[in-house]
Amino acid sequence: MRLAAAAVALAMAVTACAPSTTTRADQGKITLSVWGWGPEANYDKMFAEYEKANPGVDVDARSFTTATEYDTILSTGLAGDNGPDLAWLRAGANLQPLVEAGRLLPLDTKDVPGLAAYDEKVLRYAKGDKDGKVYGVPFAVQTLQVIYNKKIFADNGITPPKTYDEMISSAQKLKAKGIIPFAFGGKDDWMLPIVASIFGTAHWGGDDFIAAVKAKQKKFADPRFVEGIDQLNKLKPYFPDNAAGVSYTDAQILFSSGKAAMFPGGLWELNFFGENAKDIELGVFTPPVPEGQGLMPGFTDGSYGVNVKTRHKAEALKFAAWLASKDYGQLYTDTLRIFSAVPGVTPKDPLLGEVSTTFDRHGATYFMNEFAYGNPSSAAVFSKALQEMLLGRITAKQAAEQLDKSVSTWL
Amino acid sequence: MRASIVKVALWAYAVFSMAPLIVMLLSSFRPTSEIFDRPIGPPTGFGNYVKAWTEASFSTYVVNSAVVVVGAVLLGAVVSLLAAYPLGRRQFRGRGVFAAYFVSGMTLPAHLGVLPLFYLLEGMGLVDSLTGLVLVYAAGSVPFNVFVLTAFFRQLPHELDEAAALDGAGPFATFWHVMLPLVRPALATVVVFQFVPIWNDFFYPLVLMRDEAKLTLPVGLTHFFGQFQNDWGTLFAGLVMTTIPLVVLFVLATRQIVAGLTAGMNR
Amino acid sequence: MALGARRGQGGNGSSYLFLIPALLLYSAFVVYPLFTGLTYSFFSWKGTLRDSFAGLDNYAGLLSGSFLDQLLPALGHNALLFAGTMLVQNTLGLAFALALSRVRRGKRALQTMFALPYLVNPLVIGYLWTLLLSPAFGPVNALLKPLGLAMPWLGDPDTALPTVIVITTWQWVGFPMLLFSAALGGIPQEYAEAARTDGAGSWQVLRRITLPLLKPAMATVTILSFIGSMGTFALVYALGGSNGAPAGATDVLGLLFYRTAFASGDVNALGTSSALAVFMFTFIFGSTLLLERVLRRKA
Repeated sequence: MRLAAAAVALAMAVTACAPSTTTRADQGKITLSVWGWGPEANYDKMFAEYEKANPGVDVDARSFTTATEYDTILSTGLAGDNGPDLAWLRAGANLQPLVEAGRLLPLDTKDVPGLAAYDEKVLRYAKGDKDGKVYGVPFAVQTLQVIYNKKIFADNGITPPKTYDEMISSAQKLKAKGIIPFAFGGKDDWMLPIVASIFGTAHWGGDDFIAAVKAKQKKFADPRFVEGIDQLNKLKPYFPDNAAGVSYTDAQILFSSGKAAMFPGGLWELNFFGENAKDIELGVFTPPVPEGQGLMPGFTDGSYGVNVKTRHKAEALKFAAWLASKDYGQLYTDTLRIFSAVPGVTPKDPLLGEVSTTFDRHGATYFMNEFAYGNPSSAAVFSKALQEMLLGRITAKQAAEQLDKSVSTWL
Repeated sequence: MRASIVKVALWAYAVFSMAPLIVMLLSSFRPTSEIFDRPIGPPTGFGNYVKAWTEASFSTYVVNSAVVVVGAVLLGAVVSLLAAYPLGRRQFRGRGVFAAYFVSGMTLPAHLGVLPLFYLLEGMGLVDSLTGLVLVYAAGSVPFNVFVLTAFFRQLPHELDEAAALDGAGPFATFWHVMLPLVRPALATVVVFQFVPIWNDFFYPLVLMRDEAKLTLPVGLTHFFGQFQNDWGTLFAGLVMTTIPLVVLFVLATRQIVAGLTAGMNR
Repeated sequence: MALGARRGQGGNGSSYLFLIPALLLYSAFVVYPLFTGLTYSFFSWKGTLRDSFAGLDNYAGLLSGSFLDQLLPALGHNALLFAGTMLVQNTLGLAFALALSRVRRGKRALQTMFALPYLVNPLVIGYLWTLLLSPAFGPVNALLKPLGLAMPWLGDPDTALPTVIVITTWQWVGFPMLLFSAALGGIPQEYAEAARTDGAGSWQVLRRITLPLLKPAMATVTILSFIGSMGTFALVYALGGSNGAPAGATDVLGLLFYRTAFASGDVNALGTSSALAVFMFTFIFGSTLLLERVLRRKA
């Protein structure tokens, strides 16, 4: 017993020695805590601009880099009494649990005037599905395309393909030289619908088709959709060997180490390749389809929401208003090399400008985010089905049918 | 002849066991680009360690982790040892029920209780406190500890209690003077096998801790994973640094286990 | 306190005293939260906000086609993992413990080396083995290619689960080894000596004396392996992600629970996942009690 008592006493003593809660507000200065999942340094840099203009406020960015745990951290954080004042929210379906639990402050244009200028297509992802209210200030729009290594293209006499046949013949040429044409890995299954949409969206006719499915006029087993996702099978010879076993990071490294010429993926990769493959000059293109011009899918990324229990409501809303302003949008785009969701921001980066022009002309909605509902979510079901398709275990038609079956449980 | 075959087999497995860790160690001294060119190669420098040490504030995390783990393991081991003694050696009403009650805790996904646990700790003012973490981990270690220690108590020869009873020793004296010295090997095993998962856990601190100054090492690691996903060299350096304290502990503890074993055999 | 008649050594009262500290700690911080979590399964949820009483609706949801399509394969994979663990990891662990009991020089070094992988964070193990087995950069295939033995390992549904079993063994083999070693240490040497004096060979000593005496330890190892295999999460998560890649070949109950609870984005995720947890608990705990009864009786 003596040992037990000693141990308990010791445990208590050591823990009691730990530093107590840090005192926050010093001399009337207010601290706004912001939770998110991106690299913290970038946010400190951007929020410092706000602090400069608003001397009474200290913005404390906290980043939880593990994306999946973030949802748990945020939902418990907002349920408790010492959550953040503002937080990054996920887009669309994944935002709904927080909205329905009443954890977030609805935002209107009176408090956050900038919201009025947002495109409905963008703002939709920050809304509650049931009440239609806006719960977040969207921060980014992501586009999906093929990123390529300009030097490898030039060395092999290749230019971004204008036609489908040209794309295939270029890929053949690269493969013959021992260069992997497309750095793509199907082990992380969330990449599969992304890459399927990069090559397939134009095949199924983009937004019109998605709208028809939502209206229950069409099914995913439609030959056009099947043809679109079947592109993954058609392009398989130009992916790394054993592509279903290649992870997302493997694929990134294949491209950044110059072993592969192209990387089908999101625009967020520019930031990554810019840092990790500084010597590679990057270009982007939208893969053409046999019928001609391809479509560039895009989606609204997360948004900034305000905790309904914040102790600094006025300051939090003022900060949210700044997040919806062009000042922040410009800062965001130029700091992170990602499209800000704030309307009317022109990126300084020439590559980003190029993508922006293409997206304005040939943009489409990334289909998977529209079908991320259900438990298991249709997105998860379809990602797995695509993986089986890539492994040659089921056909494109069967994969599409699995998606139909899953969607029918909630649509 | 047969003995030497056994020896060769044992050392061959030791190579298999160590090889991945050696790859990790070697890689932590090589720039990432080289790792991807050639997965295995000679060490070239300390650059990764410098980067890992400066990027992640390891020193604070190490202290927090040590406090939490030592507190939790001690507390968990002591209460479990007390409980396992009657469960393994004494007849009393409800013994089977108590044993099942303790074991049941091992069969639930621990993450299930995270929301009620969060509310509970918040009610006690223990969110964002290392004491809260110590209690959660210590309690979490009880089922496993009780299970293993009970089995060991049960295994000790029956004559022991009879002899102690003949000497007129009460239950506490029997526990303290007769049983405790004998379960030392099992206790060392339990301590080592609880120390490691608690040292490595990042889920509870992520959800229960807010203050940066109170985070534990694995949380620092998760930052690391996110930040250096593709920078394998730096990643490995961080991993080596977090694993080394465990290796030291383990090498010391195997000494304890072996000592305990020998004592057990020569009694 | 002393209820009923005194049986065996000691009475009820002091036995309860021994139990109290563990009971308090465990009940407050493990049982209470988990039990509360279980009651969640009878409600429908709006995120973290409890909505209305839902009766057995959440359970009915588990049996719906699309969910059952995940549940059954996951359960099967858990069972295969358990079989693989018993066959590979625990057999090796026992063999190592027996072999090491005769080794004089280098014993502690060997024990330490066998057990060392257990120390590494499971997430780190995932990263490490993913790199080692990577089809693009991995040294394992680079070494095996000249021999014609290169394999997709984690990339193919047929080889993924066996690969997970190998990695699990690599990580955990020290555990049965140490438990068996400790149990071997508890066997008085006189038993074996007596048998040898009676003319028994070393194989007979092993079969007739040592192994029967190790039965309680085997029961312990079996039950812990069962619980471990059924509850496995961190390693499979690190190797194949939350969906058990490739194509769900390494999907297990732990991953399914994780996906349902934390990664589905479903508004009622808490209700469905709690029902799943109740199912898991009933199944695993029930099987554990059954196993315990069968094994302890034999022992």
